[in-house]
Amino acid sequence: MDEAADITPARAPVSASERADAELAAHARDGDEAAFEELFRRHRRRVALIASRFFRERHQIEEVVQESFTKAFLALGDFTNCRDASFAAWLARISFNACYDELRRQKRRPEGALEDVTEEEAAHLRERARGASDAEGRAVSRDLAAKLLARLGPEDRFVLVMLDAEGLSVAEIAGLLGWTASKVKVRAHRARAHLRRVLGKFL
Amino acid sequence: MAGVKRDGGGAGAERLAREVVRAAASAGEAEAEAVAASPFLYARVRARVTEERRRREEGDGWIGLLAVALRAAPAAGLAAVVALALFLSSGAGELAPVGGLGYDAALLVEREGDIEQVVFADARTPSPDDVLSTIIGEGEGSR
Repeated sequence: MDEAADITPARAPVSASERADAELAAHARDGDEAAFEELFRRHRRRVALIASRFFRERHQIEEVVQESFTKAFLALGDFTNCRDASFAAWLARISFNACYDELRRQKRRPEGALEDVTEEEAAHLRERARGASDAEGRAVSRDLAAKLLARLGPEDRFVLVMLDAEGLSVAEIAGLLGWTASKVKVRAHRARAHLRRVLGKFL
Repeated sequence: MAGVKRDGGGAGAERLAREVVRAAASAGEAEAEAVAASPFLYARVRARVTEERRRREEGDGWIGLLAVALRAAPAAGLAAVVALALFLSSGAGELAPVGGLGYDAALLVEREGDIEQVVFADARTPSPDDVLSTIIGEGEGSR
């Protein structure tokens, strides 16, 4: 959640590190290789974590990281510290968009059938849905959650992760994707209904 | 549980759905840390930047050629129109009639005679005396 604050447009006075980011970006834009490498070193972990919100496989995460930094480098001329909240926020926006593009690409070329949810996992889901006391201590496993979420379409999955995991507002998601706020709300409503239907099959 | 099934979710399912999303979103964190720590990641990013830049420059080259062609097309058209106007205004387009006929008619008219008649129509035909004198003249010359 605290990481999500990076893309909040309104901002306090520019911190030293952000100012340094802006200076590094200016130098990198003018061809300073070391400046871009320093920006990469500072922000690679954040970009990789953004990618991991949507992808579990290492090659997928790395693909998003590479794509994000490549786009950022080639668009450094568009970056101005005044217009955007910070370099980190600007880069986060690029990264989220790269994730969205990658999710949509995956839809066009599926990587095979989804793994089935085992009976044991389904039983655990039922316990969690009931709020059974013996299941309180055991959260839904990440593997199971990933399998369930993989059944959603790219738009549904993207919106739900942005809302529930990244903690972004409807307006922020709309700004990221270039959608209207109404479209985000409708998509979120449908995505939640879709996920409930998916869960309903196991409850 | 039956209630959960009947309404396709309910409060329990709604809470569970949010939990599933959060759990799925954190499923790749370990891999993300590993990717970020990769010592070769920056080299791969640089290679990709170089490749993307080259690809864009190639694209720009084609776009530049297309732009030049698009700019040249109106100029070429204008030059053609001017040339046609000059050609027509000089009178070169009106070809002289042949034998009192228009140019097309002269070309299309049906010839009544042989080719020789057409070719030698206006030429002076040598008489037998001319031929004989030429032969005799050549014989005397050789002696």
